[in-house]
Amino acid sequence: MSTGKRLSGVLADLALILYFVFALFPIAWMVILSLKPADQLFSTYFSFSPTLDGYRTVLGDSEGIPFVRFFVNSLVVSVGAVALSLVVGLPAAYASARWRFRGSENLMFTLLSFRFAPELTVIIPLFVLYQKLGLFDTYVGMVWVLQLVTLPLIVWIMRSYFADLTPELEQAALLDGYTRRQAFFRVALPLVKPGVAAVSLLAFIFAWNNFVFPLILTSNEAQTVTVGALSFLGGDRPKYNLTAAAALVSVVPPLLLALTIQRYLVRGLSFGAVKS
Amino acid sequence: MIRLTGVHKTYGRATALDGLDLDVGEGEFFCLLGPSGAGKTTTLKTVAGLERPDSGTVEIDGEDMSTVEPYDRGVAMCFESYALYPHRSAYDNLASPLRSPRHRLPAAEARARITEVAELLGIGALLDRPVGRLSNGQRQRVALGRVLVRPARAFLLDEPLSHLDAKLRQQMRAELKALGAVRRTTTLYVTHDSVEALALGDRIGVIRDGRIVQTGTREEIWYRPRDTEVARAFGRPRINLLPGVVAAGGVFRSADGSLEVPVGAPVREDTEVLLGVRPRDLGLGGPGHALTGTVYVTEVLGRSVEVTVRLGGQQVSLIVPRGDASGLRADDPVRLTVRPENLLLFEADRPGRPGRRIGKSAR
Repeated sequence: MSTGKRLSGVLADLALILYFVFALFPIAWMVILSLKPADQLFSTYFSFSPTLDGYRTVLGDSEGIPFVRFFVNSLVVSVGAVALSLVVGLPAAYASARWRFRGSENLMFTLLSFRFAPELTVIIPLFVLYQKLGLFDTYVGMVWVLQLVTLPLIVWIMRSYFADLTPELEQAALLDGYTRRQAFFRVALPLVKPGVAAVSLLAFIFAWNNFVFPLILTSNEAQTVTVGALSFLGGDRPKYNLTAAAALVSVVPPLLLALTIQRYLVRGLSFGAVKS
Repeated sequence: MIRLTGVHKTYGRATALDGLDLDVGEGEFFCLLGPSGAGKTTTLKTVAGLERPDSGTVEIDGEDMSTVEPYDRGVAMCFESYALYPHRSAYDNLASPLRSPRHRLPAAEARARITEVAELLGIGALLDRPVGRLSNGQRQRVALGRVLVRPARAFLLDEPLSHLDAKLRQQMRAELKALGAVRRTTTLYVTHDSVEALALGDRIGVIRDGRIVQTGTREEIWYRPRDTEVARAFGRPRINLLPGVVAAGGVFRSADGSLEVPVGAPVREDTEVLLGVRPRDLGLGGPGHALTGTVYVTEVLGRSVEVTVRLGGQQVSLIVPRGDASGLRADDPVRLTVRPENLLLFEADRPGRPGRRIGKSAR
């Protein structure tokens, strides 16, 4: 190997290390912050007596902020939103991949537009509606509004998975004596399983991380971690250490989920990999 | 029994079927032959109910199929792409029809049936493998097996032997026709291989541009082709077609004037025509009309020899036994003979419209 090549290899490594530090620094900062005792919050950054008090406070329901409930709310609302999106979205994705009908493309585009329109454009009318309909600060309301986030994602990504499957597979099933519904469940769906796993995780993360909807459409009962973590900043003195601890705790579920379905993720995120 | 009447099918601006009529008798083995894009697969899928015709009717066993779903038509189809379920084993693929609500068999009976069919197709040892780990030839046999395991009103086979190697294809061709299930069941078999069509078909339909050009037994197709394109489709080497005109007294005169053959055809003088002679109908010596030319090249094909001969400005090929051709060298003068009944006369080809055959049957 020439020295030139070796040098460029070293430079590439250096660049990667730099990026790595850049990307991980905020997380390291949060970890450090979360371990600081309350009275040393504003002291020198790297010299303090580390303590888990922050986590104890956050998980222990003190300070009058029910963080554990927010956490459970987040779980319920995100899982519920993804589940509903799958139930509605998988058949929709399949139908849109297989059949063109009048207005089908417009319908798909409308669905996509939910993703690129800023949430703030609809939040005020939604707030008014939710107040009137009694959906304000409820699980149902949150699961419903999160469809704006999860449904387009699931429909659009799954559509490309279904489009990659040759329709002859389902046609073969029809001639084997199965109905269209059975062909979908027995042939098409099992073949896109990796895609379902990958897109469910993505949708879960998007739902979990959503901030604007719970900020405006919940107050307490259905409030989620993203908004809940900020509650520690209120009051007479902002408790940065508690916010940091809360944020880190709220990273755990998406992280665990990603690790458990990692096997599918690799296959699922490389589109078109389901072709035989 | 399958009957298609005036079936039209378009995809966007492309016409796949353009008024297709087809009649396949009960228990008949019918070969549909045509180049790719002629509408063969669309025809099969229309019969299966996987494609809806824009107009025209499809009948199976005399029953109109326009409102019958594919799963209720009772037909089995072998796809050219195999369409095997990639997430299942070869066995589960074969078992799929026998586990469906409409063709369900008890598991033990199904197993016996599957084993029998798999042995027949020489895939008995592969049943536990996922289809992803089979070769193309093996997949194709699994796909064929999925059709044969179940009783059906009709088998629709789309190039089911195309991916087998030459030896296996020949063997399977012979076996396929002999299978009890195939002999009993109306079979519509699609191929682009004229040898396969001639070997298998009780009757053959030649399809072109979404329309049936000619149907008939192999003899009818061979001896009385409807036009030059049908004549060209069958037989290797291809039929010799010599351009010329019909002169006074029903004599064919080749375009360069070097060749005159009496054909006695009922056409006006000076009609432009093509004279067709199959390579195997030409001999060296013997009775019949004589044509003189010079040897261009010879090619030994085992027991016979393909000789290419220059007749004036034209080249014709003929197949003769090796003994007859021994000693022939390039540029040797030769005398070719052809029996008058083996001559075929066609109108000259025009762009987009192959020349029709003229006159009464040669046989």
